[in-house]
Amino acid sequence: MSTFSFAEATAWQCAGCNRPLEPAEVKVTYLNSVFTVELMVCPGCGFVLVPESLAVGKMLEVEQLLEDK
Amino acid sequence: MDQLQLRELEARCIQEEQPFCTAACPIHVDVRAFMAALARDDVRGARKVLDRTMPFPEILGRLCDAPCRPFCKRGEIGDPLAIGSLERFCVSRTQTMVKLPKLPNKGGKVAVFGAGLSGMTAALDLARKGRPATLITPDDDIGGRLRSLPAEILPGEALAQARTILAGYGVTVMTATSLDDAAVTNLIDQYDAVYCDRDAVGALAGPFAAGEPDPLSLALAQDGCFAGGGLGTDGNYSVIKQVEDGRRAALSIERFLQKVSLTAQRDKEGSCATRMVTVIDGIAPAAEIPPADPAQGYTPAEARAEAGRCILCECMECVKQCVYLREYKEYPKTLVRRIYNNLAIVQGTRNANKMINACSLCGQCTVICPHDFPVAEVCRSTRQEMVATGHMPPSPHDFALEDMRFSQSEACRLSRHQPGHDASRFLFYPGCQLAGSAPDLVVRAYEFLSGNLTGGVGLMLGCCGIPAHWAGQQALFAETLDGFRAEVAQMGRPTLIAACSSCLSVFREFAPDLAVTSLWEVLDGLELPAGERRRPEAALALHDPCTARYQDGVRTSVRSLCAKLGLAVVEPALGGELADCCGYGGLMQFANQPLGTKAALVKAGRSRRDGLAYCAMCRDNLAAAGRPVAHLLDYLFAAAADPDPLARANPGFSGRHENRARLKERLLASLWQETSVARPAHAAIPLLIAPEVAALLDSRLILEEDVRKVIEHAERSGRYLIHPGTGHRLASFRPVRVTYWIEYETIDRGFRIHNGYSHRMRLPEETP
Ligand code: SF4
Ligand code: SF4
Ligand SMILES: [Zn+2]
Repeated sequence: MSTFSFAEATAWQCAGCNRPLEPAEVKVTYLNSVFTVELMVCPGCGFVLVPESLAVGKMLEVEQLLEDK
Repeated sequence: MDQLQLRELEARCIQEEQPFCTAACPIHVDVRAFMAALARDDVRGARKVLDRTMPFPEILGRLCDAPCRPFCKRGEIGDPLAIGSLERFCVSRTQTMVKLPKLPNKGGKVAVFGAGLSGMTAALDLARKGRPATLITPDDDIGGRLRSLPAEILPGEALAQARTILAGYGVTVMTATSLDDAAVTNLIDQYDAVYCDRDAVGALAGPFAAGEPDPLSLALAQDGCFAGGGLGTDGNYSVIKQVEDGRRAALSIERFLQKVSLTAQRDKEGSCATRMVTVIDGIAPAAEIPPADPAQGYTPAEARAEAGRCILCECMECVKQCVYLREYKEYPKTLVRRIYNNLAIVQGTRNANKMINACSLCGQCTVICPHDFPVAEVCRSTRQEMVATGHMPPSPHDFALEDMRFSQSEACRLSRHQPGHDASRFLFYPGCQLAGSAPDLVVRAYEFLSGNLTGGVGLMLGCCGIPAHWAGQQALFAETLDGFRAEVAQMGRPTLIAACSSCLSVFREFAPDLAVTSLWEVLDGLELPAGERRRPEAALALHDPCTARYQDGVRTSVRSLCAKLGLAVVEPALGGELADCCGYGGLMQFANQPLGTKAALVKAGRSRRDGLAYCAMCRDNLAAAGRPVAHLLDYLFAAAADPDPLARANPGFSGRHENRARLKERLLASLWQETSVARPAHAAIPLLIAPEVAALLDSRLILEEDVRKVIEHAERSGRYLIHPGTGHRLASFRPVRVTYWIEYETIDRGFRIHNGYSHRMRLPEETP
């Protein structure tokens, strides 16, 4: 499966590592489906940012789609 | 749902039945569609409608004696439509628009004796079915009796066109051909079937000489011989009767050639009854609009106006009222088909899931429907089936079921005898929604009941389990109900006093062995509390909850209480057993949030007045939709100095949660001198939330408790993001199945919340 990128420059920084976030591939799962997507992640500790626009937009759409499968 | 159940359900909805005109029409012209086209000035569209059903529109459209007209529904409010004159208008201004297909030749030789309109129709219909037909007449042209009509009534072109049509479908026409006894006997031998048009040839020899044809098939005693047309039993010549007989005979001959029953399933042929119901209340009467010049017939404007009087008869009674059916653009017959198909999907997207979960299960349609169509029961049992087969999506019901679990948890549930009593004759059950919406009123109502009823009034806090029932979660529902029964048994089986119509409906239906009554009936039997009370400034619209549909006693007592309190109330346009749902029922507002809001607005909009509810959920949902609304208990127990109950805000999901938990703590402390279970650590985190943010969190179904969990986790672990510009923090936490993200700011004594959102997808580091 090809990787969709939702990585967008962001001002949010990891507080623990005190580092800016960088694009990285992340595996997200829902109801037995696994997707690899590109998100902004802390290179130090792996903290993954899901921005609001993604959560209430594309992600919600895919969740609903999978729920109806 | 199996196919048999589907068929039974489909048959109950009569929306697809024929309108009165079409049913009465011997060949079932779609008069309604014809009128609709004319009314929008689409004369060619109207012609298409005629072309689809009439064998020779140029003839029948001019001459039909319109036996449908007395059946026209418009006749009950004005005059029936001038169907005949409008057809004449249409065919005299249009050319053929639709040419029906001709099936490939299937063999079988058919002769038609006599070329009147009946014989012509039979020959044409047979030719279209792929049965070569020969039209034989001793006359020198086709038309029979029609040939003697003056040109103003039937212009010569109409018959000429009929000749062209017949030739176009390959009908052989033999004019000036003898049909004497010898010829008839001879011809019968040469053809597989014969139809005799009695209008055009009179009495013939052989099998046609004597005996009436069977009225259903027009078959004569001799196999393969049929007869029809001519004068009716009343001695009159009806044009449409010629067409009807010709068409009926053609169908019989087709069946005869196929060697199948001539009579089975023919009850819908010819003028027939219809089960259609069209309610005409509210439609203004309108008299017929005749043409200004009867000799010229209708002008286009006149025709449009006359056709515009058509009611476009249909049922749609339930759809007219139900916001859900309108939203999904279905009437129950099509709705059940979609549900059935959705259930049948093995692989692929189940597109109707959301629709199935969005019904409020309120049952309004069933009361409205002339055949009691049970949409609610269909949707509810379908949900149950979806849960059982593992096809129920989690998101529509998760939140409500969690909410129910919380109401049932140690944090909220309670059952105690009245202080100073060790037995209960009664047991007050306010229900989870009243406890969540107006805990003060619960306390005051309980004080009043325990002070005014003898024998001990116990108190039970909890949830009746109806969310699980609505969600199709039968196991959870049964478990909740069992727990409830056991607790009532432990209290010595007192008489339950339910404040909520939903609880009452659950207990009555699923625990009929328990003694149950409503708070309203009990209050109505008591001397009401004395003292100065608040009164609204104007009369209020009394909103019955949908769950009180079958609770006449409740509805009567509520009205009686209003009268005793001197509360002026008016009935909204729809109430009582027809009341709408506020959007909570069936968990509609969780499956389709905007629809839930629409439902609340529709319910509130049944009156322009401020509202009075006696269901806590109706109260809160109408308030959330921006309509001033009070709860009846407000006017029973609130003092004159209390804030205006019409202005009480919707507490939201967080508020209701908090209220329930605090209600238990408060009652335990004040009445039973007990302390409650300790609250979890995160409960102490002080939050500052602006009203807009609170409303956003509420609409996103994020509870303050979830917010606290996120912050507690972030601050304890140090795992959060920070925004260098604003200094805000952003953190997430997944308590169970949902990941919550909270953007917050640390302030002097606590946290200011700026935003919140959630998702169900799981990130790599999250376990549940
Ligand atoms: S009002 Fe219109 S649809 Fe109804 S019966 Fe009359 S012509 Fe038919
Ligand atoms: S009320 Fe609704 S369900 Fe009943 S027949 Fe009419 S359209 Fe169908
Ligand atoms: Zn980090």
